[in-house]
This record gives sequence, structure tokens and C-alpha cells, in this order.
Amino acid sequence: MTVTFVTVAIILSVVFIVLMVDARDRVRASEVEKLSVAEKVFTSLEARRQLEQLAAIATVAENPTLKAALDTYFTERAFTGLQDEQEQSLRDTVTVEAEKLATLTGADVLAILDSSGRIFVSAGPLRDRWPAGEHIAIPATSTTFQDIAVLPQGAFRISGSVLGLLDRDIGALVVGTSLDANYARELSNLASADIVITVNGMVAASTAPGEVAADLVNTGTDAADTAALNGEEYAIRTLIRSGRARIYTLASIDAAARTATRDALTALATVAFGAFVLAALGSLWLAQTLTDPIDRLSGEIAMMTAARDLRRPLHPTGTSRELDSLAEAFNELIQGLTVAEADTRAAYLGAIRALAATLDARDPYTAGHSERVSALSVLIGRQMGLDAADLDVLRLGALLHDIGKIGLTDAILRKPGPLTAEEYAELKRHPGQGARILRQVPFLAPHIPIVELHHERPDGRGYPFGLRGDEIPVAARIVHVADAFDAITSARAYRPARGTAEAIAELRRCSGTEFDPVPVEALEVALPLSSTTPEPALQELLGRQLV
Amino acid sequence: MQQVSLRNPAQPLTLLLAALVAAPEIYSLAQEQPAVVRGRVEIGIPINARRPTSAYPTRSVPAPKLAPESERRHVVVYLRDAQPQAVKPMRVAIHQLNESFTPRVVAVTVGSEVEFPNDDPIYHNVFSLSRAKNFNLGRYPKGDSRRVRFDRPGVVKVFCEIHSHMSATVMVFDHPWFAVPDEDGRFELPAVPAGDRQITAWHERLGDTTLRLRVESGRPAAADFVLPVPEK
Repeated sequence: MTVTFVTVAIILSVVFIVLMVDARDRVRASEVEKLSVAEKVFTSLEARRQLEQLAAIATVAENPTLKAALDTYFTERAFTGLQDEQEQSLRDTVTVEAEKLATLTGADVLAILDSSGRIFVSAGPLRDRWPAGEHIAIPATSTTFQDIAVLPQGAFRISGSVLGLLDRDIGALVVGTSLDANYARELSNLASADIVITVNGMVAASTAPGEVAADLVNTGTDAADTAALNGEEYAIRTLIRSGRARIYTLASIDAAARTATRDALTALATVAFGAFVLAALGSLWLAQTLTDPIDRLSGEIAMMTAARDLRRPLHPTGTSRELDSLAEAFNELIQGLTVAEADTRAAYLGAIRALAATLDARDPYTAGHSERVSALSVLIGRQMGLDAADLDVLRLGALLHDIGKIGLTDAILRKPGPLTAEEYAELKRHPGQGARILRQVPFLAPHIPIVELHHERPDGRGYPFGLRGDEIPVAARIVHVADAFDAITSARAYRPARGTAEAIAELRRCSGTEFDPVPVEALEVALPLSSTTPEPALQELLGRQLV
Repeated sequence: MQQVSLRNPAQPLTLLLAALVAAPEIYSLAQEQPAVVRGRVEIGIPINARRPTSAYPTRSVPAPKLAPESERRHVVVYLRDAQPQAVKPMRVAIHQLNESFTPRVVAVTVGSEVEFPNDDPIYHNVFSLSRAKNFNLGRYPKGDSRRVRFDRPGVVKVFCEIHSHMSATVMVFDHPWFAVPDEDGRFELPAVPAGDRQITAWHERLGDTTLRLRVESGRPAAADFVLPVPEK
């Protein structure tokens, strides 16, 4: 899961860095290209606009009244001079026509020039900036013309048409657009970029910040595509180059780069979010199909190892065929091991049982003693409600309980009379001796307490440790009772065998001191009391109980 | 009141004095014979060079040929500062043909009538804003004609209300000493009173060109113009 996330994070970081490095160059190229396209579009739009404007101007210049008044004015003035009222009347006629045309063309200013290029009459909102008598130079190339006129009152973009009669020109009609902030804004909208208008190398109008426009003039970048202006990089194109006037369009690459980078980062963030979500989902899927089942299997194996319990098979994960076959192989392996261990255990048990039988056989009176104690112990244990595992431990422990006696000499073991103190001390060593023997075999460890403690008494007078009550394991207490019962009901060299009832009575008499009352009661309940001939009946009973 | 009554008798005296001063001139006029003034008009610059008339690229009527007749016919030569005389009315026609006035320049005496026949297959509308004669003949079709009488001396610019490039000039004189040169530029002013005279050649574009000359009694004088003359 972590690995997936780290991978995604690294990929995203690399993408981010590459993007940052790459974005600027791309944006620069794209801004220059954008401006270039804008310039082309603008130029063609503007050319068309100018053509239409010129056509319109040429059309309105064909005004008979205007021409008649103008020509009459100058012809008569030259011939005889004009009287005041006549002068005024003709000038008014021209003015009225000019005002009509100014309204028609929507021009900032419209002027009628005389044949010497001086303003005769001007009209339109900015007429005051084109006073009568001012000279406007017009190109003498064709009937219609376009130019930039620089007057003391400001710079104007002019379009016009010669006012011609058949044989001669009597003046001109000129429409002027002030190269001011309004015009710059208008162009800026058309070109979708900032506009700077310069006349005679001075900024006439601009939509760009003042410092930028000033820098543009100072650097004089007529041909350059890009230039650093006021600390930022700009893409620049020249829209109009006319006489002393220049109209530039420019766009800040840095500003565009910031926007573009922000856009790209937004997109990247979206992608990153998506990637993280995918990674999370992928991790979840991996966990469900691979990691978690493996964890579960290894956990089971660890528990099996810790509990030394190899009988339970591993559960198939159900998520991956490979994992399942692995678990199956493991199960088969474990099964093989279990079988092998069972064989080994059986072999050990056989040997031990043979050992116990050999021991019993040293004394005719104790022949079969171990088998019978084992059977009785299981009888008592079952009566007491022990579970199967405890009964297994009990069975084998009881079978081996006297194994320590193997080290006793026959003189002590088979002595018909009472033992001497030394002999008795020697006898009391047999539980410890048995425990030492069992410790040699690891899988017999659960039985050691039975062997070692089956002569302890609840009143603490037992041996070898003199443990009391609950300090003695239940299994050892059971075997103690069973051992005593079998001893009483078996014949000895110095006495005959006694009956079951008598043995029970004896056990009950010593219950609480020598014996734990619970196993005694259990034995009493479990044994068929009516039986008077203990040996055969018991043999029969025990025979059924033998494993 | 007394002052006014004193002044009134002075006015006839003033007139008398003026008559006495003028008397020798009148006397000498009576003595000397008028003479003809002949001359030629040359135009020294390519007057027809002008911008192409392509204001209307789509115009259906073809642009008329420029100046098929000599540009000299557009000059009016006249005696400057001439005394008004009783003159005979003239009859002149200015045709409207090929979207132009033909002839473009005419000179007439006061009281003359000018016909404006329309020879074009389209309407024309002749009008003038000039002080000497302010008129508007309205629209009229081919074959129709209108007439205008010019009662005051002066220059009358004539235009067409429909076709803004059309123009003509009617010069109206209250004396007989004027002429329009022929195609070779020759002109003749008959019976010009002897004395120091100024002869002016007027051209609608080149303006006035004036020559000073002495007209000897009964001797033809020559006045040759080369237009334009440099300004003095």
C-alpha cells in the first residue's frame, strides 16, 4: 500500500517539475503565436474595415451640394471676391453637409479641405481639434487615402477621399480617428491584447501599464518578437506602421505563463487526486487478494507453531488459486509430519508400555498393576468429567507412574516384610527417578507431574515434596487413588487381596488426609459395588477400559 | 438741423467737381479710336494630369474621356475694369452629355439666356449656388431642356445635383470685351478703347492671369498669354 503511494507521489513530483520547466517555453511560444495570429486576424479585419471605410468615404464624398458650395466658394472668391453674406452662406452649406457626413460615418472628426490641403470646415465631436486653416498633409497617390496626421492638437488616423470634379480636384474630405485611449481600447478589444500607440517615438495612447509602454518606446523593438519590458517578458507585434506612428500589440508572457501554469497545476492536481484514489483502490484490492490472505496464513502457521498443534489444516483463502494450492501443499506436508510423529509416538509408547510391563513383571504380585492403574485412573477421570486431552495425559501418565521403580533393587521391590527406614527412603525416590527418566523424552513432558507427584497427599505428608491440597495436580491425585485401590485389591506376599467394597471403605477412611475425596467418590460411583469377586470382574471391566 | 441744411447744397458741388475732373478723359475717349486686341493663349503645364477618377470602382457609367477639346477652350479672356455697357443678349447652350457639361465654360453678356439640354440617357439636375445667379432647374430626362437668364454680371458655377463630378462655368459680363479662345488658343477682343488696359485670362483651375498693355488708338494690340504666369 505504502509502496503504491510512494510511486504515485514520485511520478507526480517528476511530472510537476517537468511541467514547471516546460510550461514557460511552451507559453512563450504560444503567446508569440497567439499574438501573431491575432495580428493576422486583426490585419485582415483592419484591411477590410479600412476598405469599407474608404468605400463609404468615397461614396459620401460624391456629394453634389458639398462640392458645389465648395467650388462656388473658391471660384467666386478668386474671381470677384465674396460678400460677407455669400461667404457665410456657402460656408454654412459646406458645414451642414460636413456635419451630416460626420454623423453618417460616425467619425471623431470630419474635415473638408480646400485644394491647398487646409481645413475649410470641420465637423464631428472633435471638430475643435481640427481648426479651420490647419494644414493636413494628404498623400497624392490616389483618390482615396489613409495616413496618420500629426497636428498640434494630437495625432489622428485619417482616411479620406479627394473631392473631384471631372477636370480637377477642388479639395478633400478627411475623416479622422483620434489616436487616443478610446481608440487604443477599441483596438485592444479587436486584437485581444494590449495596444500601445506611439507617434514620433512618444506614447500617444496605451492600454498597457505606463512603465511598460515607456519601456517599449525606449527599447524601440520594431522587429523583435519578444522583449523585456518593466521586468516582465512581453510578446510584441507591430500592427500598423504608418509614417511617424506605430501601433503595437503586446502580451505579457509572464502573466500568461502564470495563468497557464496555474491551469496546468489544477489539471495536475485533478490527475493526482485521481491517481491517489486509484492507488488507494489498487492497494485495497491487492490487500484483499494477496497481502491479507498471506498474513492470515502466516498467522495461522505461527499459531500452529506456538501451540505445537499441527492437526488443524490451514483454511483455503478463497482469494487466490496460488495461495490456496500453497496452503494445500502445506497441509499435506503437515499431515505427513503428523503421521510420522504419530508413528514415532506409537513406537515410543510401545517401548514405554513394554518397559512398564517389564517392571510389573519383576514382582508377580504387581503384575498388570500399571495397566490396571491406568484403566482405573481413566475411569475416575471420566467420572470427574475431564476432557479427552486430559484423559489421554492421565492414561499414559498412570501407565508410567511407577517407572522410577526400575532403579530399585529386587530386595526392596520384592521384600515380603516391612521395609527398613533406609529401604523405605530408597523406595520414596522412585517418583523423582521416574520424572528424570521421562524428561529424556520430550513428548512425555505432560506426564511428568503424574509420575513425580502420584505419592503426594492432600495433608502434605506425601512425598517427594510434601505438597498440599490444590498444589497437587488433579491427575496425580487421581493416579494416587487408583494406585492405592489397586494395591489394596491385589494380593501381596504378606496378605491376601481384599474386596472392592473393602478397598473403597479403606479409601473413604483415608479420604481428605491421604487421598483427595473427589477421585475417591468418583471411583466409588464408577465401580460396580455389587461385585464381590473383584479380580475377574475388575479384570473384565478393566479389560474393556484398556486402550 | 442747420448743419444738415448747410450740407445739402454741397452735394451738387461735389458732383460738379467730379465731372470736371473726368471731363478730359471723356473728351479724349471721344477723340481716340478703339482698337482690336488679338492674342493667343498657351497653357504651359499638363493641365489634364490629375488623379485617377476611381472613387467609384463599380460605377456603371464609364468615366468620360478627358478634354477631347483643347483645354484652351476653358479659358475666358476679358477686359478688366471695363465700364459697364449696354450689351446685346446672347443665346448659348450647355449640353449635358456623357455626364459632363459641354462646353464646360461659356461667357455671355448680361441678359443672355443659356439653354441646358439633356443629351444623356439619364436624368440630370442643373443648379447653382452662385450669387450672380442662384437657380435649380430640377430633374429632367433626355431630350428635355431648361433655360436660365443671367441678369447680373459675375461668375456662375453650375453643377449637377445628381452627378457630383459635373461642373460648368458661366461668365456673365456687362460689357462686350470678352472672348473664349478657339481650339488653337486664338482670341480677339474687338473695339477695345485705347489707353492703358488690363487683359485677364481666367481659367477655372489656374485662376486669373492679367496682362497690362497700352492700346493705341486704332492700332491692333497683341496680348499673348502663357498660363500660368508666375505670381509677381
